[in-house]
Amino acid sequence: MSKKILFVLISVIYIILIASGLTLVYSVGNPEPARQVLTAEDNKISIARTEIFGKLQRPQVIFDHKKHEEAYKQEGCVTCHPMNENKEIVFTFPKKIEGEGATAVMKAFHDECIECHKKEKKGPVTCNNCHIKDLANVEVDIPRAAFDFADHNKHVKIMSKFGKDDCGQCHHTFDLQEQKLIKRHGSEESCASCHDLDRKKGPQLAAITKVAAEKGLSTRRVSHQGCLNCHVEYQQKYRQMNKEDVHEIHQEKMGCNDCHVSGFKQAVSCSECHVPTECSKCHTGKYRTVAELKNTPRPHRGQNDIAFIDIENSSMKGVPFNHRAHQANTGSCRLCHHETLQACKECHSLTGKPEGNGINIANAYHRVQSEQSCAGCHNKITSEKECAGCHYYISGMDVETMNPKKNTCAVCHSGRKDQSSMPKPLSTPAVREEIEINVLARDYKAAKFPHRDIIDNLVMISNSSRLATYFHRDIQTLCRGCHHQSNSAAEMRIPQCRNCHMVADDRMNLNRTKLLSAYHRQCLGCHEKMEMTQARKCLECHEASAGGAAEIVQFRNESVVKQNTTTMLNVWRPK
Amino acid sequence: MDRRTFLKIMGTGVASATAGNLLAPGRSEAGERLDGKEFYGILVDTTRCIGCRLCEKACAEVNGLPVPDISESANQTVLESVRHTTDKQYTVTNKYETTKGTVFVPKRCMHCNHPGCVSSCPVNAMKKRPTGHVTWDSNCIGCRLCMVSCPFDIPKFEYDKAIPNIQKCNLCWDRFNQGVLPACVEVCPTQALMAGTRRQILDEGKRRISGAPDRYIDHIFGEYEAGGTSHIYLSEVPFDQIGFRKDMGTKPYPEYSAGYLRAVPVIATLTPLLMLGIGVAVRMGREKQIEKHEEKQDAKGKH
Repeated sequence: MSKKILFVLISVIYIILIASGLTLVYSVGNPEPARQVLTAEDNKISIARTEIFGKLQRPQVIFDHKKHEEAYKQEGCVTCHPMNENKEIVFTFPKKIEGEGATAVMKAFHDECIECHKKEKKGPVTCNNCHIKDLANVEVDIPRAAFDFADHNKHVKIMSKFGKDDCGQCHHTFDLQEQKLIKRHGSEESCASCHDLDRKKGPQLAAITKVAAEKGLSTRRVSHQGCLNCHVEYQQKYRQMNKEDVHEIHQEKMGCNDCHVSGFKQAVSCSECHVPTECSKCHTGKYRTVAELKNTPRPHRGQNDIAFIDIENSSMKGVPFNHRAHQANTGSCRLCHHETLQACKECHSLTGKPEGNGINIANAYHRVQSEQSCAGCHNKITSEKECAGCHYYISGMDVETMNPKKNTCAVCHSGRKDQSSMPKPLSTPAVREEIEINVLARDYKAAKFPHRDIIDNLVMISNSSRLATYFHRDIQTLCRGCHHQSNSAAEMRIPQCRNCHMVADDRMNLNRTKLLSAYHRQCLGCHEKMEMTQARKCLECHEASAGGAAEIVQFRNESVVKQNTTTMLNVWRPK
Repeated sequence: MDRRTFLKIMGTGVASATAGNLLAPGRSEAGERLDGKEFYGILVDTTRCIGCRLCEKACAEVNGLPVPDISESANQTVLESVRHTTDKQYTVTNKYETTKGTVFVPKRCMHCNHPGCVSSCPVNAMKKRPTGHVTWDSNCIGCRLCMVSCPFDIPKFEYDKAIPNIQKCNLCWDRFNQGVLPACVEVCPTQALMAGTRRQILDEGKRRISGAPDRYIDHIFGEYEAGGTSHIYLSEVPFDQIGFRKDMGTKPYPEYSAGYLRAVPVIATLTPLLMLGIGVAVRMGREKQIEKHEEKQDAKGKH
């Protein structure tokens, strides 16, 4: 190739490279459309099925369920949703998928949706009218529906009013031998025990969950199937009721406008108050707190008010456990009965077995890091701000028992089967009103410490909590929050901080801080953990001394001082 | 080549290699014990620091630096931004908002076991003392190689002076020689700073972690980072949330170039000899060639 042609070729390539580089650098990217979030109120469903289709070729379809529901109010849900052999509506779509794989699913969707739209002469039939590009980034965020004790109690009451008061209306279990659903009274569990396919289950439940997973029976599917079938049935029944009967039932308790919201020509659907079928009625996003559920009756499952926990062949005395009191303090049985509603010792043996994931019974009750164990739950409560001032610095129960003091274990392990006795509430003993701490006063004046007020406050906090009163049997337990190594059996009077904490650094005991930091960490640490707003800054506890702070340290680094104080030939000193 | 020349070349090669090794600077083993004394260090417990900045004030007072204002109102504004050490402040306390709330972290020279600054100083102005203190001496030539080599970005140059110094914490070397604690350790009101031998403070750090495993991350920063440092840190949150680098590695920074530097004298002595040998061989070869050419000319009867 001659030199000239080569030159032209190379320069052309260079020009192309430069041009493309410039366009890359100076081009503006397409702005992403704003993210829109739809909630349960909108009653719209996002059809994307990314688990089948993977990355979508066309944007997701936002399906207006409400519109379709209202259009087919008379015909009912079976217009679109299939029924199973038990005549229950299964809330899945499409009705029938012929064949396997993503293409079959797509074809089923298209067949069922588009056919109906063509027949009714309403609704989109072309690609872009369902797969709308602008809605590609819309997110449908429906909060989890909660079925708490209040809801359960309401259902129990309503169903017994209609004469259906056996738990078998909703609760069932799966018999692995017969491979079918059976009702076994006395061993009802929560739906999630078998139908929560995301959580790993122990060997007992894993076999049943496997069957549920094979049939695609997740909590979402079975809750819609189980709940909505009953609700829809009764909704139809209510709709067919006589107008006079309806008025007679409601007139006394309610006003006309409660049902006839927009004029007397029509009334709101019965589902507004009774059997809800709208998404937003169950998926409210509001969850009742434990305090709100405190007085709601818990389900009867054969539990005793006081359970005496006694393990065969164990070394410790039995524990009288007030199940009734503990029931009222949780929003779900599953907080403690994390797998099934059996007693802990059924799965957790003395030495550990596979059913309990190898965790032995002692750890099941005492593991401080666990959420299900006794000690773990109590530990979590002590990290709340009323308690954390002292309890943040007290080691967890399992570390405390390394130096077992008789009082630590005997509080629970009493061996008595009778009612676990609640100790009397505490009262402030005769202690000094105010203590002036002046041992270190130099840059600051003496600190006036309101000793009695603080103890009064702590006593009040302790007495207001059942858990605290049970464990704080003796006023000494409160004193030990600050007088932390105090042992009343060996002392004539409570020691002062400076009896153990020296003013200067203790080279031999690095873990015993100097007196200045003992005061500051004890006081400031408690104030910080209790999230107090006062008594956090220096001057709030001790005033500055009259002469101001003296120079803190006497010995200086002479060689460094010399090089820092010579100002010879300093040309430019910025501000 | 004949046997004599071969042996000569081999002999000089071996001799120069040994000489080269002798001439290379001795490798300073920065182990735990140097000259029979232990390294001295400070345990910094960031769960205890309350951000009062008394350490900054004390450090300024003992080193003749301008004393910072550490009143409540000043602290509020100063702690808003993360600061570096400067030529007027050997230690600074920074506030970080982390997943577990506000954490205050005092930042100062880490006094590494095998410091990059000491290794890179061409005039040995940066010295690692036998007791672990990394100090700076006034024979500095202001080349700032120590600033380049410090992974923690600590040494600071006095740009505003005609005869500039490098400024950094020297663990109160003079006070130490008088038997007194470093100033910051002496004034800390919560004993977030604790001084002792490196062995003692490592033990104490590990004891604190095992005694309260939910309160500390199970890692002491500085135990092995950059070959180990004498300022070691305890923290409640992962260290990258409080301004430490996670990619430090455990290799001391001087080790990265130690191999190459050690090879320099060896190569510097061997290369000329090698060149000499090649030159001699080439010249001898050419002489032989000339001889052969002349013989051929003789045989042909030409001259």
